[in-house]
Amino acid sequence: MSLKTLLSAAVLTTALLSAPAALALEPAAMTELLATIDDRQRNGGDYKALVYLEQKEKDKTDNVREAFVYRRDADDKLMILFSKPKTEAGKGYLRLDKNLWSYDPNVGKWERRTERERIAGTDSRRADFDESRLAEEFTPSYDGEGKLGKYTAHRMTLKAKDGMDVAYPVVKLWVDKDSSNILKREDYALSGRLMRTALYPRWKKIFSESKKADVWFPEEIRIYDEVEKANSTIILIKSVDLRPLEANLFTKAWLESKSR
Amino acid sequence: MGGHLRLLMQVAFRNLFTSKINLLIGGIIFFGTLLVVVGGALLDSMDDAMSRSIIGSVAGHLQVYSDESKDNLSLYGDWSGEPDLTVLDDFSRLKPVLEKHPNVKTVVPMGTSGAMITSGNTVDLTLARLRDLYKQRAQKGESPALREGIDSVKAHVQQMVALMEQQKDKSRELLSDAAVDPQETEALARARSDAFWNGFEQDPFGSLEFLENRIAPQLPDGDLLDLRYVGTDLDAFQKSFDRMEIVDGQRVPQGKRGMLMSKFFYENFLKLKSALRLDNIKQERDVNHKLIAEDPQLQRWVKENQTQTREILFQLDPIKARIATERLQKALGSQEASLEKLLSAFFTTTDENFDERYQRFYQDLAPLLELYRLRMGDPITITAFTRSGYVQSVNMRVYGTYQFKGLEKSAMAGLINLMDLMSFRDLYGYLTADRKAEIADLQKGSGLREVSRADAEESLFGEGSGNTLVADATPGLIEDSKPFEGGMGALRREDLAARVYSQDEIEKGVALSAAVILKDPEKLQQTLQELKQAGTDAGMKLRVVSWQTAAGFMGQFVLLAKMVLYFAVFIIFVVAIVIINNAMMMATLQRVREVGTMRAIGAQRSFVLSMVLVETVVLGLVFGAGGALLGSGIMAVLNSAGIPAGNEALYFFFSGPRLHPTLSAGNLLAAFVIVLVVSAISTLYPAFLATRVSPLQAMQTDE
Repeated sequence: MSLKTLLSAAVLTTALLSAPAALALEPAAMTELLATIDDRQRNGGDYKALVYLEQKEKDKTDNVREAFVYRRDADDKLMILFSKPKTEAGKGYLRLDKNLWSYDPNVGKWERRTERERIAGTDSRRADFDESRLAEEFTPSYDGEGKLGKYTAHRMTLKAKDGMDVAYPVVKLWVDKDSSNILKREDYALSGRLMRTALYPRWKKIFSESKKADVWFPEEIRIYDEVEKANSTIILIKSVDLRPLEANLFTKAWLESKSR
Repeated sequence: MGGHLRLLMQVAFRNLFTSKINLLIGGIIFFGTLLVVVGGALLDSMDDAMSRSIIGSVAGHLQVYSDESKDNLSLYGDWSGEPDLTVLDDFSRLKPVLEKHPNVKTVVPMGTSGAMITSGNTVDLTLARLRDLYKQRAQKGESPALREGIDSVKAHVQQMVALMEQQKDKSRELLSDAAVDPQETEALARARSDAFWNGFEQDPFGSLEFLENRIAPQLPDGDLLDLRYVGTDLDAFQKSFDRMEIVDGQRVPQGKRGMLMSKFFYENFLKLKSALRLDNIKQERDVNHKLIAEDPQLQRWVKENQTQTREILFQLDPIKARIATERLQKALGSQEASLEKLLSAFFTTTDENFDERYQRFYQDLAPLLELYRLRMGDPITITAFTRSGYVQSVNMRVYGTYQFKGLEKSAMAGLINLMDLMSFRDLYGYLTADRKAEIADLQKGSGLREVSRADAEESLFGEGSGNTLVADATPGLIEDSKPFEGGMGALRREDLAARVYSQDEIEKGVALSAAVILKDPEKLQQTLQELKQAGTDAGMKLRVVSWQTAAGFMGQFVLLAKMVLYFAVFIIFVVAIVIINNAMMMATLQRVREVGTMRAIGAQRSFVLSMVLVETVVLGLVFGAGGALLGSGIMAVLNSAGIPAGNEALYFFFSGPRLHPTLSAGNLLAAFVIVLVVSAISTLYPAFLATRVSPLQAMQTDE
């Protein structure tokens, strides 16, 4: 074997060995990326959004709703208050200390629900409306780069950390390489079965006085049910308002008072 | 001719008891008739009982529903859940069309559907009660009665927290420290502290939220219950369906919203589990004669009662817990101080002590407990996915429990609960034109474009999508201070519960089907066809089906049971026919000599034939009458005493704990005709043979 071939073989081997290393994100970098995604969506102060929710099901008329979503990220508090149509007005969810409470003014009752609760019977879950906590809840691993339409994405598999109560224990993410925004998310059951696919085609940012930085939000989320294939849900965030909220807003009494 | 017949009769009667073979044949006919009378009457009675159970419970004679429905009506539900039926938009338009038919007695609107009843765990429910009491205090001010109520529930909560801490300590012994959530332990410690309870009154709602969010979730969630119901005009229903009877509580007052719960459902799903298991053991021992010592199922129930005492422990407030401890100590002659251990010892039942413990449970412990999760008159919250996809909940008062006579033990019929039609419509969630327009407006306002699922990724992210991934949002203010229109507050809830609806309101609106009770059920098939035609004439596309079809699986089961019974009776008949036939052949062939002699002295063939036939008929009549008489006697005794249903399967066939069979004139007549025809036919051939015998041949035959 000549020196030349030996050299070229060595170069080739090095290139081959180092190529994945160059492409792959280190665990620390992945956690960093998740933290960035989380942090961009978090607001230092309060958060209020007007949301449109549309559910399509096989052989049924579409059912649509409008809701106010309130967040106080510092205290991990969340409230979803439905406002339209009339028959839905006043219904809501309130998350306190990891309890998800559901309220229906028709019966005046509070019920504790799980993380797997289908919000208002749609394919959406509590986490779709709440602050993003990916870095806190999951451990990532890198699956390589992939194309999604005209975008190049980091592909990652996230596994729920021990003791974390999440709706789906395994999540696959496609994160846009350029802008670090989530493009696509697949949710899996523990058995490995694909349960939902969500697409995030549009991200918006708005300047927050309290955070002194931009707060990002996915303007549109299209969720496809992978079990009942004909079902899908769209979450559309119509506008976001970052002014401070009433101090006692995240209480059962406040939600009840809205439909008194 | 008259003399002829008289002679024949004389011969027949003379021979009736003189020939031994005739006595044998008579005995066979006697027994055959008895079988046919008793078997036929029993079969008819069971068939009648089963049919009446179904017709008189929910089906009626006919069911009418929309012909545009995708599935077939199945009143008792199907394997695949509720059938998909197209609604009848307005029952008040259908009713007169059906009632015009002369054979229609009543028409009752109906709809079957299913929903969920969710409830929190025991701590959740107790805290919700406490919250309600504090809310009352906030609105109306404090009264001594209210104060007493609050203090009692508070003491109960404290007792629960103490129990939870005990259990936590116990589980800590079994599990490693790592498995114990420090936050849970910390929350429990706080809820056990005097400081927490001393400060409770300063901020009751804040304290409640702490208990609701940090303590209650430490217990497993409450049960989810599937609830099947038939929504109907309850008054018309109670008048039209004679098998329905109220067991506990009362009827739903006329025109009011409310529910009648099935007794079967109430017992099996809402009763305290320990009590239900005791009931089940008792039933298996008394009715099915099983023994705890031998039966693994009974042993399992005993075991569960020994270990699953938490439901009882959590129910007892400090005072009741003390009384229960004292009573159990006395009953068991024990000095044990722990109620949990006492309960476990008390529930250690054997075949020897079971009856005594059962009685003691209901006498000593039951008065201290809430035996059912729901008392008569309490409201229940029902949550259903409506047809339009929206979730709808209603509060409904449960006025009483009811059962269908004859179907008390049927799990299928026992799952049907009855509710008023107005609540049913709320839960069914039919989209009115107004609501459709409101939804369309919202949808238009969203400005979303339709993206087909197959190429969603391409059209959202592809080169040609024109998608801009990142953009600046236009800052805007969200106005959310306006109160909601058509709000459903506490006032409206009270209003709904108190409101009395007119017959007009009940009938004007959606129903899924209509039960039709006929004046003359014999004309069922004919009426069915005519009603279908009447619907077409009135411009309605209707599907009209008989009760058997409408009852779905239950109807088919009745049909199958009927076929099995008829087959059994058919076998009895065939056996009887073969025996009678053989006996007749033997008897006639025995008389070849006699026939020959008669022929020799000038008897015509026709005379001989008539003689043999008349004799058989007389034989049949006399012994048949005897058999029928005895059969009637047996039926009369059975009718007054009743046949007990020895096991649960017979409950359905007998439509109740005892069958009181009746004998109809038709049964008697049928038995008589069958016996006569069979004996005549089985005589015909040997008689014909006898006439062929020549006198010479006959005379030459040896003895």
